[in-house]
Amino acid sequence: MAKNVPVIEAEPRDRIGTRYSKRLRQAGRLPAVIYGHGTQPTSVSLDAKSIISAVKHGTHVIELRVGGSSETCLVKELQYGWMGDDVIHVDLTRVNLEETVRVSVALTFIGQPEASKRPGAVLTHDVQQLEVECKVRDIPEGIRIDMSQMEGDVMTVAQVKMPAGVIAVTDPHYAVVRVVTVTEEAEGEAAATTAAAEPEVLTAKKEAGAEGAAAEKK
Amino acid sequence: MSLMPKRVKYRKQQRGKMKGNATRGNYVAYGDYGLQALETVWLSGRQIEAGRIAAQHFLRRAGKLYIRVFPDKPISKKPLETRMGTGKADVDFWAARVKPGTMLFEIAGVGEDVAKQALARIAYKMPVRCRLVGRRVAV
Repeated sequence: MAKNVPVIEAEPRDRIGTRYSKRLRQAGRLPAVIYGHGTQPTSVSLDAKSIISAVKHGTHVIELRVGGSSETCLVKELQYGWMGDDVIHVDLTRVNLEETVRVSVALTFIGQPEASKRPGAVLTHDVQQLEVECKVRDIPEGIRIDMSQMEGDVMTVAQVKMPAGVIAVTDPHYAVVRVVTVTEEAEGEAAATTAAAEPEVLTAKKEAGAEGAAAEKK
Repeated sequence: MSLMPKRVKYRKQQRGKMKGNATRGNYVAYGDYGLQALETVWLSGRQIEAGRIAAQHFLRRAGKLYIRVFPDKPISKKPLETRMGTGKADVDFWAARVKPGTMLFEIAGVGEDVAKQALARIAYKMPVRCRLVGRRVAV
C-alpha cells in the first residue's frame, strides 16, 4: 500500500438523483457512495480532481473525512460517462487495514526480453492488470515486471514476482507477456479474404426447397 | 478484398436506426491506446481495411493492431438509371454500425508517440471525426 494514504474531504449529500449529481459535477465535485460493514450507505461528494488523481496514481485506499469523523475506504468501482473515459461516480467501501480484499492492480513493464530482439518478433502484453488478494494495508500501487529476466517466449502469471503478502487470483497459467514472431501477416490476410467473395447464406437452400415444394403443389 | 462475414443467415437486411451513443465496446480493452469514433456512421469493410493498411505500413512489424469493429451488415444499392421497384437491390458493401463512442482500432506494444502517429493515419482514412484515448485505470 502507498506509504501515505491520501486524505480526502467529503461532504454528505442530502439531495440525490441525476439533477443534483449533474450540478455537483459542474461544480468540480464527484458524487460517491460509501457502504459496507453492515452500516447504512451514505451518499457523499468528493473533490473530483483529488480523487481522480489519487486513483490514477494507483491508490486503492483513501482516508475519508466526512463531517467530523474519519473512515478508511477502498475504491470499489468507478462509473464512466457516455464516452467511456470520464469518471462520473465512485463507489467506496468501508474497510479496516487488516481485512483481506480482492483488487485489480496495474502492471508496469520494464526492460526488454532477449526473445524480442529477434527479427520479426513482437512483444505483446496480454494482461495490463492483475487481480490480487491481500490485506488492505498490503495493497501495492502497481506490480513491476522486469521482462529482461524473462525466459522463453511466454511469461505466465505464476512467473510474476509478487510483493510480500500479495497473492495473484488470476489463473497461474495465464500469459502476461508473450513474444510473437510475425510472419507476412498482410499477405496471409489478403489471401484469406479473397477466398470468399460472397458469404454463404444459411437459409438459401431452405428457400429453394420451399419454392420447389410450392411448384410441385401447382 | 474487404472484410465481410463468412456466413450469414439472411442475404439482405433492413436499414435500421442508429440512435444514441455506444454503450458497449466504448473503452480500450486490449491495447494501450485506441481510436474512438465521435460520430455515427456505417463504416464499410473497405474503409476498415484502408485504416488497417495505413497503420501497418507505418508500424511495420512493431506493436499489435486490434480492429474492434466488424462489417456484418449488408448494405444494398440499386444500380444507376434504374427505375424504382422490382424488389430490393443487390448487396453493394458490408458495413459496421458505428455510434459515437465506439472504439474502432487499438494499438499495443508501442510507445505513445508511435501509437499516436499510427492512429492519426487511421483517423485520416475514417469517414468520421475520431479521437485518441488511453486505457482506463485499474481499481
